[in-house]
Formats: sequence, structure tokens, C-alpha cells
Amino acid sequence: MSTLDYRKVSRASRWLDVRRRKLGMWAYALNRITGIGLVVYLYLHLVVLSLLLRGQAAWDFFVTVARSPYVLALDVILLAGILIHGLNGLRIAMTGFGIGVGAQKALFVAVMVVSAVTLWVATIKIFRI
Amino acid sequence: MNMVKVPLQIFRYKPGQAPRYDTFMVEIPDTSHVIDAIDTVWAIHDRSLAFRRACHHSSCGSCAIRINGVEKLPCVTRVTDVWGGHDPLRLEPLRNFPVVSDLVVDVTGLFQRMSAADMSMICEAEAFLPFTVDTFAVAGLDPKLVELPENFSRFSRFEKCIECGICVSACPTMAADEKFLGPAGLAAIHQARKKSNDPVKVEHLLGLADGEHGVWRCHSAFECTEACPQAVDPAGKIMALRRELIARRFSKMMGK
Amino acid sequence: MQNNGRLAGLLSVCDESAKKEDQNIPPHVLIIGAGSTGSATAHDLALRGLRVTVLERGEVAFGTTGRNHCLLHSGGRYCVTDQESAIECIEENMILRRIMPDLLELNDGLFVAVTEADLAFKDRFLQGCAACHIPAREISVERALAIEPFLNPKILAAVQVPDGVFEPFRFCLAFLATAQENGTIVRTYTEVTDLLCVGRNVAGVRIRDLHTGRQEDLQADLVVNAAGPWAGEIAAKAEIVVPEVPTAGVMVALDCRLNNLVLNRLNKPSDGDIIVPQRATSVIGTTSWAVENPALITIPPEHVDRMITQGQQLIPAVKKVPMRAKMAVARPLIAKSGVDARKLSRTFECFDHERDGMNGFVTITGGKTTTARAMAEKVSDMVCRKLDISAECRTRDTLLASYRLFFQRTHSRTPSSVADAGHRSYRRSIFNEHG
Repeated sequence: MSTLDYRKVSRASRWLDVRRRKLGMWAYALNRITGIGLVVYLYLHLVVLSLLLRGQAAWDFFVTVARSPYVLALDVILLAGILIHGLNGLRIAMTGFGIGVGAQKALFVAVMVVSAVTLWVATIKIFRI
Repeated sequence: MNMVKVPLQIFRYKPGQAPRYDTFMVEIPDTSHVIDAIDTVWAIHDRSLAFRRACHHSSCGSCAIRINGVEKLPCVTRVTDVWGGHDPLRLEPLRNFPVVSDLVVDVTGLFQRMSAADMSMICEAEAFLPFTVDTFAVAGLDPKLVELPENFSRFSRFEKCIECGICVSACPTMAADEKFLGPAGLAAIHQARKKSNDPVKVEHLLGLADGEHGVWRCHSAFECTEACPQAVDPAGKIMALRRELIARRFSKMMGK
Repeated sequence: MQNNGRLAGLLSVCDESAKKEDQNIPPHVLIIGAGSTGSATAHDLALRGLRVTVLERGEVAFGTTGRNHCLLHSGGRYCVTDQESAIECIEENMILRRIMPDLLELNDGLFVAVTEADLAFKDRFLQGCAACHIPAREISVERALAIEPFLNPKILAAVQVPDGVFEPFRFCLAFLATAQENGTIVRTYTEVTDLLCVGRNVAGVRIRDLHTGRQEDLQADLVVNAAGPWAGEIAAKAEIVVPEVPTAGVMVALDCRLNNLVLNRLNKPSDGDIIVPQRATSVIGTTSWAVENPALITIPPEHVDRMITQGQQLIPAVKKVPMRAKMAVARPLIAKSGVDARKLSRTFECFDHERDGMNGFVTITGGKTTTARAMAEKVSDMVCRKLDISAECRTRDTLLASYRLFFQRTHSRTPSSVADAGHRSYRRSIFNEHG
């Protein structure tokens, strides 16, 4: 089907539809996706930290798992989410008070470029451990 | 004059029936605008096609629709700019408005908000340079100050906003919050506030902007400014309102 | 034409209507067409206390009015060749300034002489303006160029007149919103498919609702045919001939605004001799040719080219600015046999079809949007005479309501929408809550 059938999709999730939308809308959608992702991660993180209550052996086992390349890859994704959400958040804070509104697209590009570069450097460092 | 055969895929909906897409093949001059294509469908192929239009030159705002999923005014959109020559040209009504039938949406909500902002359609042009520097550049002239005719203190202009609803259709918050004042309404509040000296009216307008469905519902998608065919920049105006509201809060906090 | 046999339903409505008359319920007038004529007429009749229903097959201003040149005439254009029109124009110009001040860009206009022939016309022009009471003032060429930087620097003379600019959609909406305030019902997307006659009397119309596809018969004490270039088509449904010649014209809107004032060529009316600015565009117009089918007009490319060529005479920069839009629509000009299209008078005429043997039916056609209110006054006077109502016209001084109220007052016919089920409550607005 070439169009979204709006009957079947609840209204609030229309922000997901970024087809043919411009950069500002992409930033909007990405911020929400990363935001949801970070909230989910927060819970996971707390669950993981609660392993500390189970004593040394449990924690050591967790650290071994955490060093596996699959989990490190997830860490990279997490870092991507933090960078995008954080830097875009700064962009939104700025433009939300009228600073740089005219440059909002350029700012988004800058956000993504900085995120990409930082992520690239960080990935290298992460996988060297 | 070269004619082209353009397939139009038009959203059709009549009350009581399921929505569908009808395809029409129209033969039109290649210099046509999309509104001419729609008009041809109505005049020759299907008189039951309901669509809005009046001025055909982007001053009434009534013809706004989605062309291939993107909000545009068909009267200033050339067919060749949006049709690649193969896939049908898809025409759908605006989003975030109730669909009455076919391409006609109910714009009552939009006009209610514009009424609440009570922005006069007349504003005043810059007293002495009513043309942009770009216009002078296009004409190949140096920008210069313009004199006013006798007894004129300013030139008058209609506000840029033509109340077409394109920004409302493009806004993701309008989709989620049906009472949101929306980009058109908030931009109108900003313009009305700028033009008003009456403190009671200004308080009222800023109160609307500061309210539960005002500027704080905007989440900076900027789609409104991107989609606006008249360069109103509603997003910029929403941010300007926020600046003013914050400045006033600070002043109050400082005890002014 | 639907006649006696099939009108059982309508006749019973007529009986009811007759009973109602005993109770002093005002007569019901149906107006076909929501262009400038229909809208202004609805306003006038509603102010006089009649019950009015306006029927329009498209959106408001769907036809001729929508695509007009947006020029609030000072009358200067006609002050030499058609003084009747010119006097109407300047009177209505002043009235519209009073009743719809918020809907007009008022920056005056200039008539400029580009050639020696234009210059020679100047004296006749000034005399014509004086004769028609149009406040015209000659200004120096230097002054004109200082006011309009893009004006042709080679002009030989300039005369300033009180031209203005309106926007036709909102023009109609304002009249209709005011009429709605006084009880008028406006039904858009409602097409008149037939006139229903009882003997030699038009008793109503058959309509089809374009949204639902449903057919309905509406009773009327009188039907006003304000369908512009389609007035002939409507009248034909009662086998009446309305002598109009749908005459199309092309206009070209540019991508940027090049003038503050309306610019006119100082000469007799011809093609492409006016540039009307509005918001951020300048619109060059217009041409003139008779068309068979006003519903579908193909824009001749040579007319577009002529607009650009003629426009350059007034503003040379026209050739450097891309074109934003082009439009064409048919004016409803009243035919006088053997006359060139450009020379047909732009005045209007009311036809009481009683003279054609059909009662309860009048046509108002011709004219221009600038004189819509005057047209409405004339046809409303006729309607009241025919319905034996004595009520004065009050439209000269009644300030019009906000055009934005039109949609809010329109009888809501939004069905339980498929695409936006949640927006059923759209009309329950936050503003009701604020009171």
C-alpha cells in the first residue's frame, strides 16, 4: 500500500511517518526514538546494577558477559542514542528559545556529524579493550 | 503547446462509503499547474469530484492538498515539477482536518483558531523599503528607498498568511493534540500581538500562547516553516513568542 | 424542466409554505451561485428580513469571482469609454472601503503614459475622471518613479487614482458570514440540476449534494440566478434565454511583487494593461475571448506571452521574474449583438423573467466584483417588489462581519469521518471553554 491508512493507526503515533518530510521532522522522530530507547535502557541499567546485591560472583559473571563483542556493540548503539538525543536536545533547547531558528537544519546536520565522529572514535576505543 | 497525458491518482471518499483511490488519465498542456489537472478531471471526467479552489494564484489558500504525500498549493505547483512521467501523481486531502469528501476538508477548526488570535489581515509594509533587496537584485537594480504617495504614512499589505492549513497538516503535534492552537494560530497570535498596543488584548493573546495548548506544545519539528507556501515561518514566530513569555516571567520574578 | 406531474412532494411543501405565509414567515429566496453577486445578494436580502438559501456547486468563489484580477476599480479604466461603469465603480469603491476595511490593500493606483499616443489620451482621461467624480491627480514623472522604483523609467506622464486591491475569496466569505448572521443558509457542494416549475412559475429547484450524492427538492418563493457565466445554462432549464457571452481572460501572477500601487496603462482598455499587486505577487492582466465551455478553459500560451510583453511596457523587470501562476476564467458579459468582446459593457443587468412568461425567477448577470454590492441592491429591490415586500437596502453602511466566521457558521455536514475519527470533536473548540 503506498499510503498509510490513517484509520488503522492511532493518531499520536503519526510522528513516526517521516516519509517525504524534511530534516526537522527527522530530528523530531529520532529524538523520540532515542528517548524511548534511553528510558528502556535506564530500566535495564537499574536491573543490572541490582546484580551487585547478589554478591561478587554474580557481578563478575556479568562483567564477563559485558565484555563480549555483542554487548559492546549494544554499548555502541547506546552511545549513539545518548549522543543524538543529547546533542539534538541542545539544538532543541537553543531553537526553542529563538536562538538559531533559521539554522535549525544546519544545526541538525552538525549534531549528526559530531555524533558520528564521536561515535567512530569511541567505537574504536571500545573494541580495543 | 505540447500536451501530456498525466495519470492522476485521487483520494475519493463519500460519506457512507469506504475510501478509495480513483485513477484518471488527463490530457493537459505541459505548462499546466496541478489545479488545472484537477479542474480537467472535474470538468470532463467526473463531476462528483469535490475539491476546493478559488483564486488560482496562492492568495486565497483554499486549494491546499497533499501532492505525492507533501502539502502544497496545486495552483502554484507545476505538473512537471511533481510528476516524473511514469508513476501516477497522487492527490490526497490535508492531514489533521476531518475529511468531508474527496479532497475537501473541514477547515472550521483552523478558522476558529485564527478568529481567536483575531489577527487583522492588514499589516503595514516597511515605510520606505517595501520591496526586499532580493527583488531589486532580480530586476537588476540597486536597492533604494521608496517615497510614499501624498497623504500616505505607510503602504498597506495583506498579511503573508493565507490560512491555507498546510502548516496544520504538516505539524506532528496537531496530529496528537486536537486542541493545539497550531502553527497557523500561534503565528497569528504573534502577528496580532506585534500589531497591538492594547495591554488587555496583549495579555489575552499571550495568555492563549502560554496556555495548555499553546507554544509549549510545539516540539520543534519545523515542518510548518518548511511546508508554508508563503514564507510565514510559523516556527520562528512560536519561538519568538516563547522568548517573550520567558522574558516576562523573569521580569515578574525580579519583581518588576 | 420538471413540471406538474412529478411535483407531488414539492406541491405539498408549497401548500405548507402558503400556510406559513399566514403566520408572517418571510418568503424564501434561493440564490444560485456563491460568487460576488450571489454573496452580496444574500447579504442584502437577509438584511431586509427574507429567508435566504445560497446554493453553490463548489467552494465559495469557485467560478468567475475566485479568479478575478482582484482590482478594486477606481473607475479610471472606464471613465472615457464607459462612463456608466466608471461612475458605478467609484461609488462602490468608496462604499466597500467603509464596509470591508480589513479586506482591502489600499495603496492607490497610477495610470501611466508609455507612448505619445498614451500622452495624448491624458486630457480626455482627466476630463473623464472629473465627469465621473473620480478623484484623480496628475503627478510628476520623477515622483512616480520615486514611488515605484520598478516602473518603466521612460514614462511620459502619471495620474494617481484611488484604486485598491481585494482578495475575492474572502470578499465573498465576508458577505456570506454577515448573511449567515441574519439567518441565511449557505450550501456549498450543492449543484442545481433542475428548475422545478408549477405552471409558469418557478417553485423551486432540484439539487444534488456532491458529498452524499443525494438528490433533494427545495421550495422557493423566488429563485435568483447568480450563476455568472453559467446563468444561461441555469435559465435554459426553464427554457429561458439569457443573452450572455462567457468571455474568458488570462492573468499571469509573478513570483515577486514589483509594484506598490496598481499600475494601469493610460489609454483605452486593451490587453495586458493592468498590473495588480497583492501580498508578494504582481498579477498582469488581461485578455478577452469568447468561450463555449466556461467550465474548462485552456489557457492559450500566446495570451500568456502577451501578458509578459505588455507587462514589460509598464514594468521592464517583468521579463526577469519567473511566473508563479496563471489563471483564466470567463466573465459573464451581457451580449449586444455584433459587438466586439472588449467593447461589451461591464455594467450589469437584472432580468425579470416574468417578461419571458416565467414567474418567480430572476437573473442577475454581467458586472464586476467591484460593483457586486450595487448589483445586489438592484436585484434585491426587484425581488422585494415581486414578493410585495417593502424593505430598504441597508448594505451601504452595514459593516460586514469577519470572513472567518463563515466556516464556523456553516451548517456542519462533516460525517463521521473515516480518516480522522478522533477529530469528530474538532468543533468543540477550546474557545467555547474560555467563553
